[in-house]
Amino acid sequence: MKTRIAYLLAVAALAFAAISISSCVKEDEFDNTPEGNFELLWKIIDEHYCFFEYKDIDWNEVHDRYARRITPEMPSKALFEVLGEMLAELKDGHVNLYAAHDVAAYRKWYEDYPSNFNDSIARLYLGKTGDYMTAAGIQYKAFADNIGYIRYASFSDGIGDGNLNEVLSSLAICDGLIIDVRDNGGGSLDNAQRLAARFTDKRVMTGYIMHKTGPGHNEFSEPQPVWLEPSQHIRWQKPVVVLTNRHSYSATNEFVNMMRLLPGVTIMGDKTGGGSGLPFSAELLNSWSVRFSASPVLDVARQHIEWGIDPDIRVDMTAEDIRANRDTMIEAARELLRQGGV
Amino acid sequence: MNPMLSRLAAVVALSCAYIYMVYGQSLDTDTVPSRYRVVATTFGAGRQKVLDTYLTPLQYAGPEVSVARETMRFTRFNKDLSVQNFFRIYAAMPGKNGYDIYSGLVNWNYGMHYQFQLRYNLKLLVGGLGDLNAGFVYNPRNSNNPASAKAFVDLDASAMLIYRFKLGRCHLTARYQANLPVMGVMFSPDYGSSYYEMFYLGYRDNTVKFTSLHNHLSLRQMVTLDFPCRRVTFRAGYYWEIQQSHVNNLKTHTYSHSFMLGFVRNLRLFRDKHGRQLPSGVNPF
Repeated sequence: MKTRIAYLLAVAALAFAAISISSCVKEDEFDNTPEGNFELLWKIIDEHYCFFEYKDIDWNEVHDRYARRITPEMPSKALFEVLGEMLAELKDGHVNLYAAHDVAAYRKWYEDYPSNFNDSIARLYLGKTGDYMTAAGIQYKAFADNIGYIRYASFSDGIGDGNLNEVLSSLAICDGLIIDVRDNGGGSLDNAQRLAARFTDKRVMTGYIMHKTGPGHNEFSEPQPVWLEPSQHIRWQKPVVVLTNRHSYSATNEFVNMMRLLPGVTIMGDKTGGGSGLPFSAELLNSWSVRFSASPVLDVARQHIEWGIDPDIRVDMTAEDIRANRDTMIEAARELLRQGGV
Repeated sequence: MNPMLSRLAAVVALSCAYIYMVYGQSLDTDTVPSRYRVVATTFGAGRQKVLDTYLTPLQYAGPEVSVARETMRFTRFNKDLSVQNFFRIYAAMPGKNGYDIYSGLVNWNYGMHYQFQLRYNLKLLVGGLGDLNAGFVYNPRNSNNPASAKAFVDLDASAMLIYRFKLGRCHLTARYQANLPVMGVMFSPDYGSSYYEMFYLGYRDNTVKFTSLHNHLSLRQMVTLDFPCRRVTFRAGYYWEIQQSHVNNLKTHTYSHSFMLGFVRNLRLFRDKHGRQLPSGVNPF
């Protein structure tokens, strides 16, 4: 009897083993050809990109239009060009195609607008070595009219609480503070939040985040609130002006989204560039990789900020000021802060 | 928590507690068969194929190295019931077109088999195992989805055939084992959820999922041959692992083939009832 049971169990085990071996979990496979890489890229974006509905993009129509331009013999660089053009249909600075020879990117979110930032002029305001200080990714100084100035050029450059303590302590005697995030193309959200946390004494809800739950264009999770916790270190209590331009993008867009909700903070300059989708990455068969927006961040009204955030006070650099090596926006911010801000 | 998950967690916890209790008691046992352990340590090298659509929809393939340690013994309360303790860790560097990703997993199986003596030299072992796993797949080129954490606990159905035979003057032992996860719990990021959302903001809804044959059909198989050489018993083996999941619309698989080589030791445990010290000749302390 025992032996029979044993044989039955052995047969059952072998059956399960056979089922497991034959039931593979696999993904659609494509050939490493121009057609295969085109189809794979189209599918990655189709299943993971998060702004199809918001931007009213017919991705199937895009497929048909660009598929006609793909031929089996086309050179690699020609394929790269066509795929880059296809991705540009998404009008998204977070969508890039990376190859060894080039990066395809959509840059019209700032190229089609006034620069509103001149690095040479901004450097004149900082002065020469010794006139300003550098704390990790931040350069800072106090202007002669007792207005503090912080230049944060990239949120990819890390900043620690110790750095921020030193910066804010050093500028504590100032009557107001300018935070210049023009041409800051983003980086780490941690750095953006760490800086913003120095300007609130209360926990503030700054927006929502959601993510895709499946390959459908409308499959999203419930938006979850994003909170800004006040820093436990030194917090700034005086007026602040945040300077923005169209190249204030991604994590900088989110920094502005947080700062505009805080008391005593004025957003000044040009509209930000947007870029509110957290980017994910994937790879193609020919070793190119693609980056795309996958997880949208919304504002407190649950609206997308993918196209940017309007300033409280619109200021553009004037040609006359540029000729005179004057930064119109810094000057406007200083004037506002001298008058007490906000 | 989902009621089904709660019940499953309770079952897993009770099973683990029971196994631990039995294991703990066995150290104090006086029953002779349970004092003996077959302990094998093997080192493996092979090849692994990895797919994780959270990272990218491509399959990568590359070398894998591993080390495994296995202990088998009888329980003290039933002469036909044996305990298997199997620990394996691997690291792999699968690639595609010159670009590598990295994967690693720690796997611990612990459970019991009922032994059927089919012939004087052939045994069938059938039982269940607790199957704990923790690991990762990492793609250094990705942005907000750089890694996929692997964490899953399964209850496995397990079967083993052990065949003893003689080749010339050598006594050999061949073994085939298959472990099939039947039900469990798995961590999986949601389809498009970033690590920023899960771990910085703390939103981890839908990341712990019940798994069974419908979404986690996996199989671990092992063939080993123990053979003596002079005064040492060596173990050569082949380890074939199929780990698959289809959870949160994400597909993953790891297909691993590994050849193993190591050695086997037969140990006999004894208990010092009277607090007497070991003779100085055998006491390492």
